Amino acid sequence: MNGIFNPIVFYPSAVLMILFAVLAIKFKNIFYSLLSAIVVFFLAGFLFYVLGAEYNAVIQIAIYGVAVPVILGLAVMFTDLKKEDKTTSNKNSFYKILLLIFSIIFVFSLLFVISPYTFDYNFSNSVNSYDVISIFGEKLFKKYVLAFEFVSILLTMIIVGLILIKKDSKDFESEELCKK
Amino acid sequence: MQEITMLHYLFISMILFVIGILGIIFSKHVIKVLISIEFILTAVNLNFITFATFLDNANFEGYILSLFYVAIGAVELAVALYIFYLMYDKKKSENLDKYGDL
Amino acid sequence: MLELFLENIYLTILLPFWIFLILMIGRFFSVYLNKKLIYFLTLFSSAFGVLLSSVALFNLPSDKILETSMPFMKINDFIINCGLHVDKISLIFALVLFLVSFLVQLFSISYMKNEKKSYRFFAFLNFFNFSMAGLFFSENLFQTYFFWEIAGLTSYLLIGFDYLKKEKSTASKKVFIINRIGDTAFIGALILCSYFIYAYAPNKNLATLSLVDLNTISTILYAYASSPIYEIICVMFMISALVKSAQFPFYTWLQDAMEAKLPVSALLHSATLVALGVYLTVRLLPFYTLEPVFLKLFVIIGIITAFICSLSACAQNHPKKALAYSTSAQLGLIFFAIGVLNIKAGLVLFIAHAFIKSLLFITLPRENEKWNYFNFIVFLISGLSLSGVIFSGLIAKEMLIFNLGNLDTILLSLLSFLCSFYLVRTALVVYATQGLKKERPNSIEMFSVLFLLILNIIFYIYLHKTAQYKITEPFWSALFGWIFAYVLYIKNAFYKVPVLYQLSQNGFYLDDFYTKSCSNFYLKFTDFCSFIEQTYLSNYSFIEKTIRFGITIFAFIENKVMNGVIRLIEKSFKRISLLDLKAQNSSIQAYNAYAFIIISLILLCVIIAYIIIFFLIGGLNG
Repeated sequence: MNGIFNPIVFYPSAVLMILFAVLAIKFKNIFYSLLSAIVVFFLAGFLFYVLGAEYNAVIQIAIYGVAVPVILGLAVMFTDLKKEDKTTSNKNSFYKILLLIFSIIFVFSLLFVISPYTFDYNFSNSVNSYDVISIFGEKLFKKYVLAFEFVSILLTMIIVGLILIKKDSKDFESEELCKK
Repeated sequence: MQEITMLHYLFISMILFVIGILGIIFSKHVIKVLISIEFILTAVNLNFITFATFLDNANFEGYILSLFYVAIGAVELAVALYIFYLMYDKKKSENLDKYGDL
Repeated sequence: MLELFLENIYLTILLPFWIFLILMIGRFFSVYLNKKLIYFLTLFSSAFGVLLSSVALFNLPSDKILETSMPFMKINDFIINCGLHVDKISLIFALVLFLVSFLVQLFSISYMKNEKKSYRFFAFLNFFNFSMAGLFFSENLFQTYFFWEIAGLTSYLLIGFDYLKKEKSTASKKVFIINRIGDTAFIGALILCSYFIYAYAPNKNLATLSLVDLNTISTILYAYASSPIYEIICVMFMISALVKSAQFPFYTWLQDAMEAKLPVSALLHSATLVALGVYLTVRLLPFYTLEPVFLKLFVIIGIITAFICSLSACAQNHPKKALAYSTSAQLGLIFFAIGVLNIKAGLVLFIAHAFIKSLLFITLPRENEKWNYFNFIVFLISGLSLSGVIFSGLIAKEMLIFNLGNLDTILLSLLSFLCSFYLVRTALVVYATQGLKKERPNSIEMFSVLFLLILNIIFYIYLHKTAQYKITEPFWSALFGWIFAYVLYIKNAFYKVPVLYQLSQNGFYLDDFYTKSCSNFYLKFTDFCSFIEQTYLSNYSFIEKTIRFGITIFAFIENKVMNGVIRLIEKSFKRISLLDLKAQNSSIQAYNAYAFIIISLILLCVIIAYIIIFFLIGGLNG
């Protein structure tokens, strides 16, 4: 039995993923939520793998599962952890309920969209993972090479731009200080 | 037990997406918001990959798009973190409500 | 020769009309300045009429009827003709009319010498001749009705000639209004008759109501109409004749007509206006003879009128009023004669009465002037003649009583007694109030008076051949009446017989009855109508209340329901805008929530629309 169709593989991972996603939002401590987010990302990578996208799974785990939480954790390090959030107000409960209702509406309408009555499924999966890797490389370096280059340029632009903005804002601050 | 179909995967990604959106709206902590954004991106990636796996046998263009998506998400995260850093410098708070005069 | 006269008899109708037009339109060209022209034209028309009608009358065979007609008005196959109908009766009436009107016009030349605008008077006299002659020669009943109305109008104009004096204008108005009753009855009867003939008769030409066809029409109506249409028509014709001839229930207008000038009275009372009723009754005899009840009605009404009016005339202090009552009484006798189907006697009575009554009026003195001896004597002679002592009156009474029962003889003798009584009394009253003078009258007046007297005598001589002088009761009673009145009033002209005097002086209170009951009833009815209008019809409080009630309801609806809805919308918009304001609190999360809600809503709407379209198409495809 292929892993895609195996409910024993699918249900625990899916339930765990949803559970940890909810926990990540519900936790008040930011580190706990970070940790549960890591679990969510790993489980998402696992699902990628189950679906047959090994390369995507690797990248998902590498970037979201490791790099992003590390960077976020570093960012959290800057902040003052001892301060506690006391801005929980009763007023927001109404809006919470409203938003929950609307999210349910959203879920149901999307369910209608993806339901088999409106969506035409012709499932066939005959390609194995090696073929997938080769196709992947072929596409990436032939058909989508221009987009790939654009993304790499964007990344470098971000790095350079961040540094430049930092410099500018510092200059701006120093100018303000000078005025004072 | 019933076999798992494409609908299940799509449903999972949708749930994750909604959780991300609710997280963005409800959570006050900037880092939590960023995590929720990553949830949304993950859900979209999952969607892409599900469609590519189940419907696109020959080309798998969803995989490549999800790859680009990860890159775009990283860039967005970097920018957001930098903005957070700047704002925290100014406001000395990680609460999103205090960033009203952005 | 006769053919020429008969063919040109229409000139007797049209000549007065032309002269009327000449006088009335010619006043813009100052024709009235030439008075001799006016006199000549007027007298010429009358004389021409006398000539034509007399020649035609004496040469026309008794059974010959000259009739010409042409269509005047066409409505599908219903035609109203106009034309001429000449026979013995119409010629007799026309001859009497023209003779009397000739002499009256001659008299009025001297009478109206000092009046202003006398040309108008002569124009009216001509118009009167026109209407009368037109009526006597009219071919069908519609034409008769036309001239009937014109005659009523002309009598109104003549009586109200001095329209600036209030009594005269009111009198003319009263005459006109009372005559309207008869006119309405006439036209109603005409319409009914014509309609039923048109609907039921086999020959549609009968609906023109030609005088020749009256026998057939009356038979058809009597035979076909199961409903009392025939009786209604007869009664309406009767009413119209009785009103015009001043008979019992309607005679009050004739006493008001005494306000007119002397020549007008002479004309109206003798041969013309009151003769119309007689003429109509004689013409419509085929209707009445089929049902003897109507003839009996005529007899009864004639007798009642004669008695009431004779008694009333006995107590009048105004001579013209007394003579007016006398006219009604004499016409009652004529209707009595028609009622017993003694047509010949009726016509003789009518002719004699015409000559004598015009003579009586002419010989009366003017107001505030003394009486001529000549006129006084002529008045007495004609009075004798009218009451049946001498001349034509004698023979007429005899012809009337011929072949009648004892009761009728006694009644007629009583009437003769009363007639002579009131004539003597009137003469004595006038003598007592105004006195006598020896002055010779105007030659023109004397000529006309003498001419009328001579006519009376000629008529007597004409009748003398057929007279038998066997019936003497009316003669003696009339003579007794003369002597009685003379004995009673020679010393005191205003002697009052105790009980009867009040009753008769007021005309048995018929006029008062009309004024008190009818006009008071009318006034009260109008008061009642105005009361109803003021309190109910023009009282809009109910409508006002209804409108106010509606307004309150609508105000309630507007305030509570519509404004409530508007307020609800307003409040909800306020709340939504407040929510919106909260969403706009520069919180990035609120923007997110907002966007999420809106997107989900849009998605929902799109999907619902998709479902609806899907099911519609699916349902359509079956």
